[in-house]
Amino acid sequence: MIKTEELQINIGPQHPSTHGVFRMLVTVDGETITDLKPVFGYLHRNHEQIAEVNTYLQNMPYTDRLDYFNSMANNHAYAIAVEKLAGIEVPERAEYIRVLMVELTRVLNHAGALGFLINDMGAWQTQLAFGMREREKILDLFESASGARLMCNYFRFGGVVRDLPDDFMPRLKDLLVAMPAFIDELERLLRENEILLQRSEGIGILPRDLAIAYSVTGPVLRASGVAYDVRKAEPYSVYDRFDFDVPVGSVGDVYDRILVRIEEMRQSKRIIEQIIEQLPDAQGGHINPKARQNVRPPVGDVYARVESPKGELGFYLVSDGSTKPYRYKVRAPSFINLTPLGDMCRGYKVADVVVILGSIDIVMGEVDR
Amino acid sequence: MHDVVNQLINTTFGWGWPGWLISLISYLLIATLLFLIAPFQMLFLTYFERRAIARMQDRVGPNRVGPEGIFQPMADGVKMFTKEDIVPDSADKWIHLIAPCIVVAPTMFMFAVVPWGPGMVPVDLNIGLLFFFAISSVSAIGLMMAGWASNNKFALIGAMRAVAQMVSYEIPAVLSLLAIVLITGSLSIVDLINYQGGLFISTMDVASVPDFGLGWFIFTPVGFLAFIAFFIAALAEGERTPFDIPEADSEIVAGYMTEYSGMKFGLFYLAQYVLNFLLCAMTAIIFFGGWQGPGVGWLYSLAITPANPEGGWIFNVLSGALGVFYFLAKTYIFFFVMVWVRGAYARLRIDQLMDFGWKFLIPLTLVNIFGATIWVGLTRWGAAEGLAFVEGWSPIMRWAIAFVVTLALNLGTYLYLARIYAESQSERARMDDEVLERLTNVA
Repeated sequence: MIKTEELQINIGPQHPSTHGVFRMLVTVDGETITDLKPVFGYLHRNHEQIAEVNTYLQNMPYTDRLDYFNSMANNHAYAIAVEKLAGIEVPERAEYIRVLMVELTRVLNHAGALGFLINDMGAWQTQLAFGMREREKILDLFESASGARLMCNYFRFGGVVRDLPDDFMPRLKDLLVAMPAFIDELERLLRENEILLQRSEGIGILPRDLAIAYSVTGPVLRASGVAYDVRKAEPYSVYDRFDFDVPVGSVGDVYDRILVRIEEMRQSKRIIEQIIEQLPDAQGGHINPKARQNVRPPVGDVYARVESPKGELGFYLVSDGSTKPYRYKVRAPSFINLTPLGDMCRGYKVADVVVILGSIDIVMGEVDR
Repeated sequence: MHDVVNQLINTTFGWGWPGWLISLISYLLIATLLFLIAPFQMLFLTYFERRAIARMQDRVGPNRVGPEGIFQPMADGVKMFTKEDIVPDSADKWIHLIAPCIVVAPTMFMFAVVPWGPGMVPVDLNIGLLFFFAISSVSAIGLMMAGWASNNKFALIGAMRAVAQMVSYEIPAVLSLLAIVLITGSLSIVDLINYQGGLFISTMDVASVPDFGLGWFIFTPVGFLAFIAFFIAALAEGERTPFDIPEADSEIVAGYMTEYSGMKFGLFYLAQYVLNFLLCAMTAIIFFGGWQGPGVGWLYSLAITPANPEGGWIFNVLSGALGVFYFLAKTYIFFFVMVWVRGAYARLRIDQLMDFGWKFLIPLTLVNIFGATIWVGLTRWGAAEGLAFVEGWSPIMRWAIAFVVTLALNLGTYLYLARIYAESQSERARMDDEVLERLTNVA
C-alpha cells in the first residue's frame, strides 16, 4: 500500500462553476472527497440591515436582487408578508396575475438550472443555450408586463403595479403551445443520454431523514422523497383553486432532482393553463384602490412563506408601527439547501462536487444577502 | 519531393547538382512547409470549431474580424503574443518554461510520417505507425512537468489525470491498430495506404477487384471495430469531450494549463489542436484510405515516379492536389465529428473513463486482433501454413468467408461485452452500500 497524502483544495471563491463567489474547502484523497466545508459570506451586502432603514415599499426592488433569477417569486413572498402585517386585501384578478408570473418564473428557473447543471457536467453550453432560449421567451413576457426583464419589481402591496398589456395573453398562449415540445426535448436529452445518466444516477444522495433534519426544501427535498410543497401544505394566494401534482423522487440523487424539476415545469404549465381559463372571470382590478402604497402596519410581527422555485422562501417582519420594518429577516432556500453539501459530497469524486452543487440550484445573491 | 526537385534542377535546367544537395534542398523545403502548415491548421481548426459549435447553439459565432470572421484566429494569436507572461512566484521556473515546448515539439515531429498525397510523404519510415504513437506519448511528460512545476493544486490534479488518461488510452489505440498491422503486415504508413486501393474489397486481398481507391479498412469487420475503438481512444488522447477530463473547466479550472498565460498557454493550445488534427488525419489514413479515392491512383500512374521516370510533371501536381483534397476532406469530417460530440455531450468522470478503457475497449480490441488473425488466415494462408483446405476456394470466396466469420466474431463480442459492461455500471449506478450506510448513520 502506497502512503498517500490528503490534499486540501479551495474550490472557489473564484472558480468557473461555483455559481458566484462561493468557496468550498475540499479535502481530497486522490480524486475522492474526504471532507468538504462550504464557506460563504463573500457576497454579503447588508441586505437585511438596509431593509430596516427603508420604507416597506422601498424594499420591494431590493427583494428582486435576492434571487436574481426569480425576482417575481421574491416579490411575491415579500408582498404577502407585508399584506399580512398590514391587513391589506388583494383583488382576485391581481392574485391570478401574481400566480401566473410566479409559475412562469418557476419554468424559467428550472430551464436555466438544468442547463447550468449540464454545463457543470462538462457539456459545452449547448444545453444551456437551449434552456436560455426558452427563458428568453418568458423574459420577453415579463418585460412587456413589468418593463424589466430580470429585476421586475412588479408586485405592490394589494396587487401588481400595472395590468397585463393587451398582447400579453396571445403571446402567453403561443408560449404555452411551444412549451411541451421544449420540456420533452429537455427530458429526452437527460433521460436518453448515457453519459448524463452515468454522471447523475446515484450521485449526491441526500437521504430522506437527513434532508428533513437539515430542513432542506424545494425540489431537493422532494427528490429525496418528501412530498412537501408550501403551495399544497399551506396554500397561499389562490393556489387552492388549481389542480396540480407535487412530483416526488425516490432516491434523492442528482438524477431525481433533474426529474423532479422537469415534472415541476409540466405542473407549472398546467397551473398556467388553469389561470388562463379562470382569469377572465376574476373579480376586481389589478391593484386594490384602497391599499395605500406607503403602508404603516400596526405593531406586531409576521412570517410569510411561498414556494419559490428553489424552495421555501420566507420573510419575517417585525413592525414597530412606523413606516419602516423594525426587523426584516429572509429565510433563503438556497442558503439552507446548501448546508448539507458536505454530507452529500463526502465519498464521491472531485468531478461530482460541481454536479451536486449544480443540482442544488443555488443563487449566491440569496445565500449571502 | 526529391524526384521533383531532381527533375527540375538536373533535367530541366541541366545544372547537374549532386544527389546529396538535391536531398538537402528537398528536405529543407518539406520541413519549412510542415512548420508553416501546422500552425495554420491549428488557426483554422479553432475558427472552424467555434463556428460549428455556434451553429449548434443558435448563435452565429465569430464574424467580426475579416469576412465571416475568418481572421479571428489571427487576432487571437496577436492577443496571445502581447499578453503578459506570468510565472507564479513559487513555480519551478525552468521546468515551467520548458514544459510547453516539450508538449509542442512531439506534435511537430509527428508530421514527419504523415502522407499527404501519393508520393507526398516527408519520410516513409518502415516503422511509421510505431514512430507516430511513440512520439505522441512524449507529450505526457510535458503535461506532468507543467502540472508539477506550476505548484498549483488544480494543475497537479489536471496533470495526474492527463497522464493517467493518456497512458490508459494509448493501449486500446495501439491494440486496435495492431489488428490492421496484422492484416497489412507492415508498420509503414505508406504501405497501409497502398493496401487500401480497390472497390469495397482491397486489391491486396482480391487481386481482380478494380482499383478505384476505395478498398478502405472501414469496410471490413475488423477495420470497423478497430475504427470505433481507435476513434474513441483518439478522443481521449486528444483530450476532447467527453474525455476532456484533464482540463475540465467546470471542475479544475484549466487543469495543467491553469498557471500559464500568454504564448506559453498558446503553445499548449497549439499542441492540442495540432494533435487533434493529427489524430483525425490518422483515423482518415488508417481506416479511410488517406489520400486514396477515385482517380488518384490512375493520375499517379502517369506521374514522374522512380518506377516511371518518363511521366509528366503535370500528373504529379494533379494527383497530389486530388490526393490532398481527399485526405483533408476526410480529416475535416472527423474533426467535425469531434466538434459535434463536444457540442452534444457532457464529460465522463475519471473513474468512469478508466472503467470504459480497461473493461470495455481493451477486451474489445484484443478480440479484434484475434479476428484479424482469422482474416489473414482465411484470405492469405495456404497449405504452407497448414491450411490446405482453403486452397481450392477462389479469392472472392475466401474474402467473403473471412468477412462473415469476423463479422460474427466482432458483433458477438461487442454485444457480449456491452451487456457485461452495462451490468457492471448499473451495479455502481445506484451507489455503493457503503456510501448509503454512512449517510444513514449521519442521519
